[in-house]
Amino acid sequence: MASEKNVTTTGLLGWIDTRFPLTKLYKEHLSEYYAPKNFNFFYFFGSLAMVVLALQIITGIFLTMHYKPDASLNAAGVPVAFASVEYIMREVPFGWLIRYMHSTGASAFFVVVYLHMWRGLIYGSYRSPRELIWIFGCAIFLCLMAEAFFGYLLPWGQMSYWGAQVIVNLFSAVPLIGPDLSVWIRGDFVVGDATLNRFFAFHVIAIPLVLVGLVAAHIIALHEVGSNNPDGVEIKKNKNADGIPLDGIPFHPYYSVHDILGIAGFLILFCAVVFFAPELGGYFLEFNNFIPADPLVTPPHIAPVWYFTPFYSMLRAVTDLFTWVMVASAGLGALAVLRARWPLVVKAGALAALLVLAVTFRVFDAKFWGVVIMGGAVVILFFLPWLDHSPVKSIRYRPNWHKALYMVFLVNFFILGYLGVLPPFPFGQAYSLVGTVFYFAFFALMPIWSRIGDFKPVPERVTFKPH
Amino acid sequence: MKKLFTSFLTAMATTLALIAAPGVFAAGGPVALDATPAQKLSDKAAMQNGAKTFMSYCLGCHGLSAMRYSRLADIGMTEEQIKAVMPPGAKPGDYIRTSLNRAEAKDWFGAAPPDLSVTARSRSSHSGTGTDWIYTFLRTYYEDASRPTGWNNKTYVGVGMPHVLWDAQKSKPPAEFDSMVGDLAAFLNYVSEPAQFSRKTIGVVVMVFLAIFFVLAWRLNKVYWKNIK
Amino acid sequence: MSQSSQDLSFPVQPSSSATSERRTWLIACGAVGGVAAAATAVPLLTSMAPAEKARSAGAPVEVDIGDIPPGGLKTVEWRGKPVWIVRRTPEMLASLEKIEPQLADPKSDRTAFPTPTYAKNRHRSIKPEFLVTVGICTHLGCSPVSKFETGNQPGLGADWQGGYFCPCHGSNFDHAGRVFANKPAPDNLEIPRHMYLSDTRIVVGKDEKGEA
Repeated sequence: MASEKNVTTTGLLGWIDTRFPLTKLYKEHLSEYYAPKNFNFFYFFGSLAMVVLALQIITGIFLTMHYKPDASLNAAGVPVAFASVEYIMREVPFGWLIRYMHSTGASAFFVVVYLHMWRGLIYGSYRSPRELIWIFGCAIFLCLMAEAFFGYLLPWGQMSYWGAQVIVNLFSAVPLIGPDLSVWIRGDFVVGDATLNRFFAFHVIAIPLVLVGLVAAHIIALHEVGSNNPDGVEIKKNKNADGIPLDGIPFHPYYSVHDILGIAGFLILFCAVVFFAPELGGYFLEFNNFIPADPLVTPPHIAPVWYFTPFYSMLRAVTDLFTWVMVASAGLGALAVLRARWPLVVKAGALAALLVLAVTFRVFDAKFWGVVIMGGAVVILFFLPWLDHSPVKSIRYRPNWHKALYMVFLVNFFILGYLGVLPPFPFGQAYSLVGTVFYFAFFALMPIWSRIGDFKPVPERVTFKPH
Repeated sequence: MKKLFTSFLTAMATTLALIAAPGVFAAGGPVALDATPAQKLSDKAAMQNGAKTFMSYCLGCHGLSAMRYSRLADIGMTEEQIKAVMPPGAKPGDYIRTSLNRAEAKDWFGAAPPDLSVTARSRSSHSGTGTDWIYTFLRTYYEDASRPTGWNNKTYVGVGMPHVLWDAQKSKPPAEFDSMVGDLAAFLNYVSEPAQFSRKTIGVVVMVFLAIFFVLAWRLNKVYWKNIK
Repeated sequence: MSQSSQDLSFPVQPSSSATSERRTWLIACGAVGGVAAAATAVPLLTSMAPAEKARSAGAPVEVDIGDIPPGGLKTVEWRGKPVWIVRRTPEMLASLEKIEPQLADPKSDRTAFPTPTYAKNRHRSIKPEFLVTVGICTHLGCSPVSKFETGNQPGLGADWQGGYFCPCHGSNFDHAGRVFANKPAPDNLEIPRHMYLSDTRIVVGKDEKGEA
């Protein structure tokens, strides 16, 4: 044919390569993509996240063959959606297995993603030139939360129903347009059949498409700059004569084989839950969700699923008292502006803005600010690459007190999560307020504290012990 | 890496210790539950007894609408035995439905008697499984003249359901009544998840297989990584 | 091996012993992994098989045939398909021999839809008077129309003896459901397993040998 490309491969592969960059992609992204050799345990979770995504999509497809998104009651007085899940559990051959894989997979997704994000946090994987990878990742996290939220309504149990009712009502807190916004989201005045059907559409196709696109963008951005590593050393700084990083190893076969081991380990834990403890004490499959949704009766104790609980605690922490804390922070911000070396006009503008903000903190309901804080807790993550001013990327070379601070952040996140599972009580409410403030202060004050302390010298080459 | 890993574990341990701290983080406790006798839960004869008890005493008001009569073959009932417990006019392929009218029931009892297909799961809590709840509930009725039915229940205070098993309870010694209720609980436990028995059997095979695969994957990983310097 | 590749962390050309070691474990893992993949595919693909609901709905159906007039056709649903019970008149039965030269498989020898032994005869039924057949054309699944009136009719030819005509692609069937030659449909209409419970009652989908 006219002007075919020159390729080095022959035969069928050569035919393909002149028409599709198959060998080129294979080399660029697998056999000649050089990753640092010193990846540790935390580096399993990226590939595991992809595995769980595939698992959810596949089990989701098979569930959709039998599930019915219909809130009306069947002849026995049970909602059709709820009954269709029990149909899958009992009458579809291996339906129970597919259902448990999907429910366990949802929780597993969050375990894996939280660990993956923690890795990014401690090794500075979000720092230049990797900011965009981090931003795509935060977007994936937001989509994942939405996907889980929409999916949770589908079994149409009591938790499904009332959880959705509460979360959609959060939007009614938006000033002026809030209540109308909630009606528009629900498609009705309360959560009902209209809501169920549209959440089904979002969960099954809309968000999965977006997720797959974002994951592709995330990996493309990663491959463009190359992976970070636990030492925070840029391996591309030391290359041999052929341009191969001295501390780099081809992803395939070394990390493909390494990731297979990671998958084997993950499957052991995953299958142990699926086959022996699918409810996991009510954390993976909540007990109240085995009661069909009843719009007239709220269960005595609603809690969101475990992976939302840290943010839920923050939402609950925002009471009238908290709005004063927010005013105080605006005050601190004003002090910082006064100290800053900016032109007077800019300073005046910033102070005016902070004053307006402080007033709105008190004018709008705490209900609204609770929503803002909860959303803000996720949104603030997007800004991390610009908040971190440490001279050193990885926690390994930071002062010991930085390490302690990260540990406190982690423990605080766990405690907030645990408190979110429990009904509110005085000590818990007090702690949640402090814990929420700590969470935001950790990020908001990072430009200041991340520069302070004795940093250890970062090596030229990665630290690695052959094994 | 080891340091970070150990500090990570310390973080987890700290959190768990705080969670376990008595009093501070404990939620208000529900009623203590009696555990259903363990051997009944996997005993098909017990489940069959429970099935018969259910059909005699419970089907009048409560359905098991996710379950078909023919499925009772799982617990070893023959076609004749199943036909013997089915109400007249029902076919083996039918779902187990109660003939009680829901609207009328709401009038009489305050709430329509719920379908019990997954009650052994929905009533689970930190005090015990839903099966334990059922086992305890049916044995903690006491007379209470202030209630419309004349009965109240320690496990479910203010319940609208009368003490349907009263006849059985007063005509049997306590141990025999407990056994009857235990069989019924075992039956409802089975109904709530018929796949639970095969799930665990398949699970054992899967775990053994995965252990083997893990060892192979470990060796595979080793054989590549020993070339890395 | 160039000087610069000696500084690399990985072997550009692994030794032959390394390669053969790698191959051993790759094969071992691949084999076990293949089993794992198959073991995962089986439940997923099996889940698509008819569930209990479909199988229950596919149970045998009892039909009262005492109320069918001579020359009349009764339709019942079995497994989601129409089943025709036709009470054939002597004229209809007589046409069965006359039409044989025009048929593709007059003796019902073909096995795509196996004819039960009790229906392997000219009238393709247990009793000559009653035809029990699945009313689905064996070409691509439309339901044929009954055309019992004999004689010249558009599309059916001058010597039409009566039978069935499928409007989708023009196949013809006789009064025993046997397909005409040179038509798109390859097979005679299916005869489902059935048996007589009494002179006026049959059950479709079940015979002495058990359920279909």
